[in-house]
Amino acid sequence: MKRWAIVGLSVVLLIVFCGLVDAGQPFKGKKITVSVNAGGRKASSSGDLFEWRDKWQELSGAELEIVEIPAGEHLEKIVVDNMTGANRFDASIIGSFWYGTLIAEGFIIPTEQWYNDPRMPKWPRDLMPAQEKLYKWGGKWYGVPFDHDGQVLYYRKDILNDPKWKAAFKKEKGYDMPVPPKTIDQLIDMSGFFNGKDWNGDGQPDSGIAMHLKVGGQGMYHFMTFSAPLTVLPGDKVDRYHNVYDFDPETMEPLVNDPGHVRALEMLIKLAKTGPDAQTGWALREAWTHFLIGKAVFCFTWGDLGALAQQKDSVVQGKLGIAVMPGSYEVWDGSKKEFVKLKEPNIVGNTTGGSWHGVIMKASKNQDVAYHLLAFHATKEVSQWAAATGWDARDPGRKVQFVKPYGDMDVSEYVKMGWDAEDAKAYSKGFHDVFSQKTTLPYLRIKGALEYWVALDRNLSEAMIGRMTAKEALDRCAKDWNEITNRLGKNDQLKLYREAIGYTP
Amino acid sequence: MAFPAVSHKHVKFAFLLPAVVWMLAFTVYPLFYALYMSFNKVKLTGPDTFVGLANYTRIFGDYYVGNSAKLTTIMVLTTVTLQVVIGLTLALIMNAEIAGRRYFRTLFSLPIFVAPIAIGYLGHTIFFEEGGPLNTVLTAVGFRPIPWLSHPTWAFVAICMIEVWIATPFCFMVLLAGLQGLPEEVYEAARLDYKSEWQIFKRITLPLLAPVILIVFLLRLISALRILDTVYALTAGGPGTATEVYSLITYRAAMKFFDFGYGAALAYVLLVVVMLILTFFFRRMREIYE
Repeated sequence: MKRWAIVGLSVVLLIVFCGLVDAGQPFKGKKITVSVNAGGRKASSSGDLFEWRDKWQELSGAELEIVEIPAGEHLEKIVVDNMTGANRFDASIIGSFWYGTLIAEGFIIPTEQWYNDPRMPKWPRDLMPAQEKLYKWGGKWYGVPFDHDGQVLYYRKDILNDPKWKAAFKKEKGYDMPVPPKTIDQLIDMSGFFNGKDWNGDGQPDSGIAMHLKVGGQGMYHFMTFSAPLTVLPGDKVDRYHNVYDFDPETMEPLVNDPGHVRALEMLIKLAKTGPDAQTGWALREAWTHFLIGKAVFCFTWGDLGALAQQKDSVVQGKLGIAVMPGSYEVWDGSKKEFVKLKEPNIVGNTTGGSWHGVIMKASKNQDVAYHLLAFHATKEVSQWAAATGWDARDPGRKVQFVKPYGDMDVSEYVKMGWDAEDAKAYSKGFHDVFSQKTTLPYLRIKGALEYWVALDRNLSEAMIGRMTAKEALDRCAKDWNEITNRLGKNDQLKLYREAIGYTP
Repeated sequence: MAFPAVSHKHVKFAFLLPAVVWMLAFTVYPLFYALYMSFNKVKLTGPDTFVGLANYTRIFGDYYVGNSAKLTTIMVLTTVTLQVVIGLTLALIMNAEIAGRRYFRTLFSLPIFVAPIAIGYLGHTIFFEEGGPLNTVLTAVGFRPIPWLSHPTWAFVAICMIEVWIATPFCFMVLLAGLQGLPEEVYEAARLDYKSEWQIFKRITLPLLAPVILIVFLLRLISALRILDTVYALTAGGPGTATEVYSLITYRAAMKFFDFGYGAALAYVLLVVVMLILTFFFRRMREIYE
């Protein structure tokens, strides 16, 4: 009798245990496949998926297959996968500029249906307003937070605050060196001042700025960020002339060759001359390296640079100044067809870049499992780890990722990950400021966004190497944009554009 | 149990079947499907729209295509000529009795085993302007550093250099094989008539080797017209549009911008050009050698 009682109790305990395990592993036995930009196990967005794979599998009970695809071919693979009905991917870590294509073709679905699902990890909806826009379409959340891109101005605060250089600057330029520069003109002046001088004491002339201007090296992002203060007319809402950048939301005519953009390109060419000639052939790696080895005073780029500056043996750690991009006292007003003067510089925030994040495929048979994975990566704990980690290309854009008083994180969390405390504070402030500006550069999320940007990229480069003037290059870009719009369907594109920027006629 | 008797006449078809199916599925079908696409506006989802010759007429008004056609032509003629000339020179040297000939032959053949895309990415380091190995050597011997990747002309030169380096071994190996196949008796007789090696080369070697040279030239020409990997990896067509070759435009149209109809039309135009070149060369060869 006793023996039977023990056996009975064991069976009951086993059933309870199995039940507990199942409750903790809601998707046991299932498998999902996620596509991500190739980067390996310790780099780029893919690194995070690998880093946390075991933990997530343990938590969910499901299996995760990670498919790495070169960034330049990722969208085409997703599109072909959906077009052919192969439907291999349950979720993908995509660039925000793919939304137009993926939404228009109906490849992805909103995610809100799982927010209150008790099986799912919970993440705070604390994205900075400019970032939140990228994760939504038509008021619905499609994306789950992962990466948050925006360009800030990095500068060497140790050099710019050095009294010797301050005095020399005043003597040469006739005014006090503003740290950080408040306007584009000041940035050009300061970068020009330092360019060619041996300010790092290595016996070699150094650079003012380092930029990535190679075709295919994301140079068009530099132009967008840089040109915004001259081209985005501030206003309380999005209308035909305010808070627009790419197209006239009434006619879908490109704005890329208006006088604001042309002047901005002329100024960018001027700024480029305060850095190495070679930078017209540089992609991210070369430009970032130039700054990280202490050869450039300025670099305006993404959060990755701030995190990379914290690596062991870094020569710039603890010397970083980080600020929102400088503005302009003059901005092009499309309604008046003239530059208008402002009392304060027009500072424009930006979400330039990919802001890579997860979306769920409509054709997936395991949408709930896919959401569980994405939500797991958006939890406070994983997001904070990602923000402070240098190699993973996941930049901060949420309150949980910023240090106090800009967010919830204690600076010691960053220090534990190898950061200099002052750099961490400047980093949080810089990105908090860039994502919370009243005026923000609108993000191009229409179908074929990449094609528009490639056209801009190759024409910018023509101007940068002097084969075309700024006006010629942007006129040809506008012609290319019109051709793309007409081919993709002007009415469809206009509808998507209006939805994407939140314009109501 | 005996298997049903199958006549030898029918067995051969069974053996041919896999190859035929393979050809139909992976050569003939894509070829015709691409032709179909070139006459349509192909949508990602939804039905295609017949547009007649619109994709073809668009090619002739496209600035980028005109630019890329010009660049590709110059690049192909330059690189292929250099590949054949250098390959022939190396083959002549390696055909002579010199010490370590076997090792040199292996050494000169090595680049052929390297993937062009890998060399393209390696090029970032080789041609790095601020202290890359090539500029370091140049400055060490008193030259100014060259803006390899930031200047339109030099970027074009850099691509050509890689192309020559990669494909010369192919020319070298084929021409060396051709040289080794030339009859020794002819040379023995020639040495009675001609005193200098140059005369022997000009009067004997070159005419005898001409069909091989022509074939090598032709094969390289066709291959070079499709150049993509090195450009894609090293310059992405830049700076500006200085290295934007024809295949890059085609690839971008179809696979980056999902403009499949236009991409197919671009590919077909290249196909026609290659066919015309082939026809011309083979006709000339027939005229000369038959």
